[in-house]
Amino acid sequence: MSETVELTMIEPRTSLVDLLDRVLATGVVLAGDLTLCLAGVDLVTIRLRALISSVRGEGDE
Amino acid sequence: MTGGAGTYVYAVTRPLPDGLPAGLCGIHGGPLRALAVDDLACVVSSVELDQFAAEPFRRNLEDLRWLERVAREHDAVVQALSAVTTTVPLRLGAVYSDDQSAQHRVRGLREPALATLETLDGREEWGVKIYAVPRRAEPPAGDEQRPASGLDYLRRRREQLERTTLDARGLADDAEEVFAALSALAVQGRRHRPQDPALSGVKHPMLVNAAFLVPRDERARFQQAVTALSAERPAGAMVATGPWPAYSFATLDDG
Repeated sequence: MSETVELTMIEPRTSLVDLLDRVLATGVVLAGDLTLCLAGVDLVTIRLRALISSVRGEGDE
Repeated sequence: MTGGAGTYVYAVTRPLPDGLPAGLCGIHGGPLRALAVDDLACVVSSVELDQFAAEPFRRNLEDLRWLERVAREHDAVVQALSAVTTTVPLRLGAVYSDDQSAQHRVRGLREPALATLETLDGREEWGVKIYAVPRRAEPPAGDEQRPASGLDYLRRRREQLERTTLDARGLADDAEEVFAALSALAVQGRRHRPQDPALSGVKHPMLVNAAFLVPRDERARFQQAVTALSAERPAGAMVATGPWPAYSFATLDDG
């Protein structure tokens, strides 16, 4: 696969937040028999709480 | 129950006659396996249940370092698979007590999985984020004459407020137009929740956090459209990311 256009506004896929949007909030929910209780809404909440507290933690230092 | 190993499922694919990509490892370096499920395959590795059973997993999700590592390892597997075959990614954290349980669950989703594989064939995902970056810069200091009177000052202030409100509404409408224009070029468009500025690291509010499913052979056309739309807007108003595996379009309706 060759990149045909070099575009300055196209970022490499390095942003953790963009990745978490996808791996935590999309993708097929195939409930594991061991992780049955994890639903999308829970994960989004967890994600935001974890990330915001992390961002704040870094800011405080 | 703690200890022991569970089966972590990354993705569902068609059978992999050439096997898995060489040198590819799963979460925490675990060797990957492709399990046959009739005319499908699911790609798995073994994970430690003291980290991945329901309760420890829930706790670990709150640990950003742990979450980032696992999310990137999960993504590395899905990316590598997407490069060689059409891949239906699973949401992070599908863990089974053993391979048979995983196979049983995937078998139950055979028909919708096959339909999703067809939808995703030859396509990839692009992300486009649109921020509320004001079009008009504030007039430079000293550019305007000083208000001639108190009334003149109030009039100017009111006009400025009206302009700001109009701008905010205009930016939201404009973001919707961009989403519609790119959706028309894509097979599908969908939206994620806009990211909080604390997470995006961008001070301007995010208006649209979109994903588009684009045929691989139309990538250049889609990118050109993104470039053209972006050029008409203030710097930083549009950010595209990709190509992604088709995470945002991997949905299975199992009733």
